[in-house]
Amino acid sequence: MKVTLKLAGAFVHTVGFSHRELDVEPGTTVADILDAIAIDRSRPMIIARNGHGAAVDEVVQAGDRILVSPIFSGG
Amino acid sequence: MDGWTGQILRVDLTSRTHRVETFSQEFADTWIGGRGFAVKILYDELAPGIDPLGPENKLVVAVGPISGIPAPNTGKTIVAAKSPATGGYGDGNLGTRMTDQLRKAGYDALIVEGRAASPTMLAIDDDRVEFLPADEVWGKGTIETNEWIYATYGKGAGVLNIGPGGENMVHFAVVRSLEGRSGGRPGMGAVMGSKLLKAIVVTGSKPIPQAFPAKMKELGRDDLREVHRIDKEAGWSLQGTTGVLPWCNEVAALPVHNFRGTHHPDAWMVDGERVHAARVATYGCPNCTMRCGIAVLDDEGREAEVDYENIGLLGPNLDLYNLAEVGALNYLCDDYGLDTISAGGVLGFYADAIEQGAAPGEPLFGDIAAFKKLLGQIAHREGEIGNLLANGTLPAARAFGHGSEAYAMQVKGLEISAYNCKFIPGMALAFGVSPIGAHHKESWIITYEVNQTPRESYGRDKAQKIVDLQRIRGGLFESIITCRFPWVEVGWGVEHYPVYFNTITGKDWKLEDFWPISDRIYALIKLFWLREFPQTDRTADYVPDAWFDPSFADTEGPIAGRILEREKYDSLLQHYYDIRGYDTRGVPTRATLERLGLAAEAAAAEAYATLS
Repeated sequence: MKVTLKLAGAFVHTVGFSHRELDVEPGTTVADILDAIAIDRSRPMIIARNGHGAAVDEVVQAGDRILVSPIFSGG
Repeated sequence: MDGWTGQILRVDLTSRTHRVETFSQEFADTWIGGRGFAVKILYDELAPGIDPLGPENKLVVAVGPISGIPAPNTGKTIVAAKSPATGGYGDGNLGTRMTDQLRKAGYDALIVEGRAASPTMLAIDDDRVEFLPADEVWGKGTIETNEWIYATYGKGAGVLNIGPGGENMVHFAVVRSLEGRSGGRPGMGAVMGSKLLKAIVVTGSKPIPQAFPAKMKELGRDDLREVHRIDKEAGWSLQGTTGVLPWCNEVAALPVHNFRGTHHPDAWMVDGERVHAARVATYGCPNCTMRCGIAVLDDEGREAEVDYENIGLLGPNLDLYNLAEVGALNYLCDDYGLDTISAGGVLGFYADAIEQGAAPGEPLFGDIAAFKKLLGQIAHREGEIGNLLANGTLPAARAFGHGSEAYAMQVKGLEISAYNCKFIPGMALAFGVSPIGAHHKESWIITYEVNQTPRESYGRDKAQKIVDLQRIRGGLFESIITCRFPWVEVGWGVEHYPVYFNTITGKDWKLEDFWPISDRIYALIKLFWLREFPQTDRTADYVPDAWFDPSFADTEGPIAGRILEREKYDSLLQHYYDIRGYDTRGVPTRATLERLGLAAEAAAAEAYATLS
């Protein structure tokens, strides 16, 4: 199934892209996706799934839009 | 007095005199420095009801015990005064060499009183104070003014200056330094301008008093390296604050079209990745390894230092998605000495008012040439509209009428920063209860709220989190003084700061020892507001009506049809008051004031208001 992954901030430079459509198996979690693109899950991060906050262990669904960003405090 | 010089320099521009005053260890322990010193001085010395732009207002420049000591991000200075934008207490911090130079000159604070007879630059070199003519640069932008000062004093001098915005007393004029740093959103630049004070330059040669200077030198050096290492590893500085834009756009928190929209498909064109790709230079404050000032070239080839707030409000909020154009508005604000957040709020509001038929004028959204021209008119108070908008969104809305106050995106007269909270209750409340009017620096709860709580909740936990953040950010960091970025952006623990404080002062304070002082500072700021507005009630802590209006809700996207609920917001506000020990008006109770060591202030407050 297809999901859209977006990255923000420093993660763009870590993995070399900011936007990608992924083909994942049913049952895939956000954590699985992070592992697949080699983002260290111990780094402070915020995750949004379809525009709302999400946990790293959430199972993604077909058509989901996932955004992963380093944590920020604002300007 | 280890940690403090123990001296305040008081300067009277009217009589061209100065004197050095001392303060006690008890005063230092009670108020720490920075914002603490500033609010205590202004509360004690300003008569209620004074004109913020009259000679009776005072400008306080204050530093704290760890200011200027080489350690992570300690280059900040506070500028404070009664605000022309809000009529209440106003302050802001900025990175500047003033921080260490003021302390080396022998002072923890500078109080500027009166009004000069002609444009003046105040030059302080240790014990020597001069009132120099500034006619040559009056009317010039902040960039040229900075260069003019550097030509005489060198780049190591501590410099604060204003541009035409401050000279013309635009209510959201800022104080500028280092050609790229700004502070004092609620019109601290206008207060300088009202005093015909174009600039302050300070040079000092004395050692900063410290209990354990050798230990602090080693600690500061090691920690600066460590913060640099962590930042390098995390990559935060690659995009700086602009890296947050995709997240705000994704979770529907971006200000678009005067906050009517929360996200936009073209937002990626001005996001951190584009800023990183376009960067031509980076700038930082003294004692900082996290250089958050990322310069891009604007549409006229000039270096413009951008950050998230500037981009959000001068970009999507105005329907502009060209980075060079956003950079141009940013450059103009900086050179005019205008606050970029408020400028974006004011321009967006005016464009919206035109669109709604409340204000005269041609359509503005997306028109970069018109916005550039308008900024110049505001900075110089040219024409009826330029002069009106120079007072900010709230006075403009009251002049326009036709219900436009509902979408004047401000709290207490200060424009809202670049977080659209039409369905983010906790962050909305953080704007509502910020002690200077809507500003994000006091309590940036938004990522916690969206990621770790039910977004639609108005629970006490959110009010508690706001208080916790205010204690750290608005109390501890603004009084000792330091930048908040190492703490959240790269996870530099807050427990480091008492260590610096203790090493410099010789004390043995724990983190929790700072919280009553933070609360005392917030309570005295509340009393300052109460004295100015004795009839105040809880509606002063409300956010604009638009955020409660279902017709303002998104029609598509993740928060379609959702909007803040007024009754629930009010209950969240009550949680905040309960935690703080404030009454239902939002005023600290007598018991709270006495608990915080403000019994004398409580007794004095009875003269102008009733305490619960």
